[in-house]
Amino acid sequence: MDNREVLVDVKNLRTFFYTEDGVVPAVDGVDLTIHRGEIVGLVGESGCGKSVTALSIMRLIPNPPGKIISGEIMFHGENLLNKSEEEMRLIRGDKISMIFQEPMTSLNPVFTVGDQISEAITLHQKIDEEEARKRTVEMLHLVGIPEPERRYRQYPHELSGGMRQRVMIAMALSSNPELLISDEATTALDVTIQAQILDLMRGLQKKLGMAILIITHNLAVVAEMAETIAIAYAGKIVENASAREIFKSPRHPYTYGLLQSIPKFTERRTNEPLPAIEGMVPSPYHMPNGCRFNPRCPFATEKCRAEEPELVELTPGHLVRCFHPIEP
Amino acid sequence: MAEQAVAAKKKQKSSEDYSYVGMVLHRLTRHKLAMAGAVMLILMMLFVFVGPLVWRADPNEQIPGIEGMFNPPSQAHPLGTDDYGRDVLARMFFGGRISLFIGFSSAVSATLIGAFIGLLAGYYGGWADNLLMRFTDAMLSIPTFPLLIALASVMGKGMWQIIMVIVVFGWMSDARLVRGLALSLKEQEYVEAARAIGASANRIMWRHLFPNTLAVLIVSTTIGIGSSIIYEASISFLGFGIQAPLASWGNMLQNAQQFIWNAPRLIVYPGLAIFITVLGFNFFGDGLRDAIDPKLKL
Amino acid sequence: MRDYVIRRVLGMIPLILIVMIVSFSIFSLVPNPFAALIENPRIKKADIERLIKAWGFDLPWYLRFFKWFSGVIKGDWGPSLLYPGSSARDVIARALPVTIRVMGIEFLLSLLIALPIGIISAVKQYSVTDYVVTVFSFLGMSMPTFWFGLMMMMLFSVFLKRPSGAPLLPAGGMMTPGLEEAPFWTRFVDQLQYLVMPVLVLAFSSVGSWTRYMRSSMLEVVRQDYIRTARAKGVPERLVINKHALRNALIPIVTLVALSVPGIVGGASITEKIFNIPGMGSLIIAAETKSDYPTAMVGLMLTSFLVIVFNLIADIVYAWVDPRIKYS
Repeated sequence: MDNREVLVDVKNLRTFFYTEDGVVPAVDGVDLTIHRGEIVGLVGESGCGKSVTALSIMRLIPNPPGKIISGEIMFHGENLLNKSEEEMRLIRGDKISMIFQEPMTSLNPVFTVGDQISEAITLHQKIDEEEARKRTVEMLHLVGIPEPERRYRQYPHELSGGMRQRVMIAMALSSNPELLISDEATTALDVTIQAQILDLMRGLQKKLGMAILIITHNLAVVAEMAETIAIAYAGKIVENASAREIFKSPRHPYTYGLLQSIPKFTERRTNEPLPAIEGMVPSPYHMPNGCRFNPRCPFATEKCRAEEPELVELTPGHLVRCFHPIEP
Repeated sequence: MAEQAVAAKKKQKSSEDYSYVGMVLHRLTRHKLAMAGAVMLILMMLFVFVGPLVWRADPNEQIPGIEGMFNPPSQAHPLGTDDYGRDVLARMFFGGRISLFIGFSSAVSATLIGAFIGLLAGYYGGWADNLLMRFTDAMLSIPTFPLLIALASVMGKGMWQIIMVIVVFGWMSDARLVRGLALSLKEQEYVEAARAIGASANRIMWRHLFPNTLAVLIVSTTIGIGSSIIYEASISFLGFGIQAPLASWGNMLQNAQQFIWNAPRLIVYPGLAIFITVLGFNFFGDGLRDAIDPKLKL
Repeated sequence: MRDYVIRRVLGMIPLILIVMIVSFSIFSLVPNPFAALIENPRIKKADIERLIKAWGFDLPWYLRFFKWFSGVIKGDWGPSLLYPGSSARDVIARALPVTIRVMGIEFLLSLLIALPIGIISAVKQYSVTDYVVTVFSFLGMSMPTFWFGLMMMMLFSVFLKRPSGAPLLPAGGMMTPGLEEAPFWTRFVDQLQYLVMPVLVLAFSSVGSWTRYMRSSMLEVVRQDYIRTARAKGVPERLVINKHALRNALIPIVTLVALSVPGIVGGASITEKIFNIPGMGSLIIAAETKSDYPTAMVGLMLTSFLVIVFNLIADIVYAWVDPRIKYS
């Protein structure tokens, strides 16, 4: 059990998108808890609602067509969903920061890198421009960018992908937030750079002590970084446990399937096909009845097709949403 | 509440259930402005093509003498008569057919010629591209209007001359459009694959590249018809193009100009017709563009 | 930057040559441009022959081209056939300021109206405001200017009258006769009434298309990732639009505006004709209609050159304003 204070507590979040073609239940009942200083991984395939969950926490859901229709997002005991836009604005970039997937396009091309970071600083801290400039250079140094004074005056297109991501991190951490949300921040980078960025994030976490919510579809990333992992499928959380538990004894068939499908280079299987989960992620317009995973689940029964399972704590700290969880 | 909304929407067809053309039509029919445009166009077509069957009058028959001139709308002449005592309504039908015909044929021809040149330039690249594009740029530098008039004054007056003039002036934008598309499309894998199995340049251009430009070209043509109609009207308005006693909406306007003090209504009809038609094409073309590529929804 | 400019300037040369050739060729299609003059009993045959010689019509076309070409470069633009006695150059010099005045005012007015409205329309996409603005833009873009001009004239000159019985707005011309010697201020105020209708007519269609362009540009920028980053940083929405988005959205607009400048000189031919404004536009049309080919050719050429030059300026400004453009 975690002794640390609860920082963010997402309860039964529902965020829907009302499009011309129908309603998309992107997030349909998500529960997630992040403690102070904890590194939580949110894993799932594309379209399972993980990014939307993050954007919901930041209240950055474009409206139209999206809308947070129910649930609570408790931050320090207050429900973020009840806050005014101005109150949220003060939280964004200051108490909760977010970095995104595409470093190429996530920085404004017509402003220098340094100006963009300084802006983040002056928005939330009452210091003058000169002071902000100094802090910016410090941040650039902190994230491992060489020659920070020179880089300050450069434009985003003059930096490589890895460096741009570092700049994003500098910008996000400039006001020492309590929570950093990383939405597939390393997905668009090549593998060696990815490793560097992850190292950087780990180091910064130790130094600054913020909590991190790592959103990714890559199990390897969370294996390295996360203490707790939540697995998302079709807008719901289907399993939530410590990283160790997830990898050692996955209880939900989906998690099990995901782990099985990772090619393992240490084993000697040669002629057998890589086990893959049959079927495809359901279309958001045509969600299956009952448990959303049932069409693809090898263990599905009539009950699974008729009713939706609840998220149940099977062993302390290990929650599963399944009628027939796999035995450890 | 949310569950009910989801359940209700489950019954609705989503975009995944249609074919490509079906999808485009589906989106098109829901675009309000496009449908308004379509209605305007249909009304115009009915007016111009079905009208003469209902109201049979000779557009060239003149009522001699002063009593025939500038008659206000009456039962005998629903839109009145013009300076020669001719029935304005009949002339509107006739003029409309001519204006629409010119607009349509010149826009389509210009698009086809432009597409052809653009395909050649885009596909072959190199010096052919350079040459063609320099020429296109130069032609684009010459301002529209004076060039149109220059060509018109030189080529003489008449319907086919106008069509030619508009085409000579109008192929450039389609050429650039298609060239740009061809340049990016030819880097796609399916073109490489076609080349690998030995397809000739011609085949690649027409069978593989051209169909992918069709969507953009259709939009361009639709809007082009609107522009062509205005060009024809302008040219006729200045005295070139369609000559009396033939009617076109443009030359009707030109004729009416001098009578602005005694019979201003003669100005209203042809101009209004042009306006509604062009507006219709623009609305529809814009909606078509959104329907074909909704990600570009602007 | 310097190399870029030099290369672009060199690239202009073939364009200019082609334009000159095209201008010349068009008018060469006419068999005998002096036919109209010959019929005029007031012009002596000897003068006509002198003209023919001066213009090189006794020479084959390729020699004639060179003769004309060298004349143009030296500044001798030939005689004006419309106004025998004046050179084409004088005639153009008289018409130019008139056009610049009318079009200049129209240009500035359109800019001042279209840009803010386009921005507002984009920010409030799908609202009633946006809808109304969109419909108006289409009206402006589809409106045949000559008809609109005539309708305005109908309304303000034929139907609406001043207490004295005179038309509310004069139906044409640039100045009330008799005021040539009046003090500047009187003439200035007098001229305003002549400018109202033509400027409105022209502005209606410019505002229509520019609003649409500004709106498209803003819409495209606002959906970019870096705008999402700005919001995630806690930038207030007003700044997101006016600083982060606008700076990017204006880049293509700057090009558009630079490309519209030549139109200021070419004038709006038909509108000038309807409102009897003695500017470049109506001059060129009159020259073409009444077979004053020397003037027409030169007029056409001049306006084309301006287009080419402003294309160059537009490119340079674009490269200057957008830090991403590499000059190599």
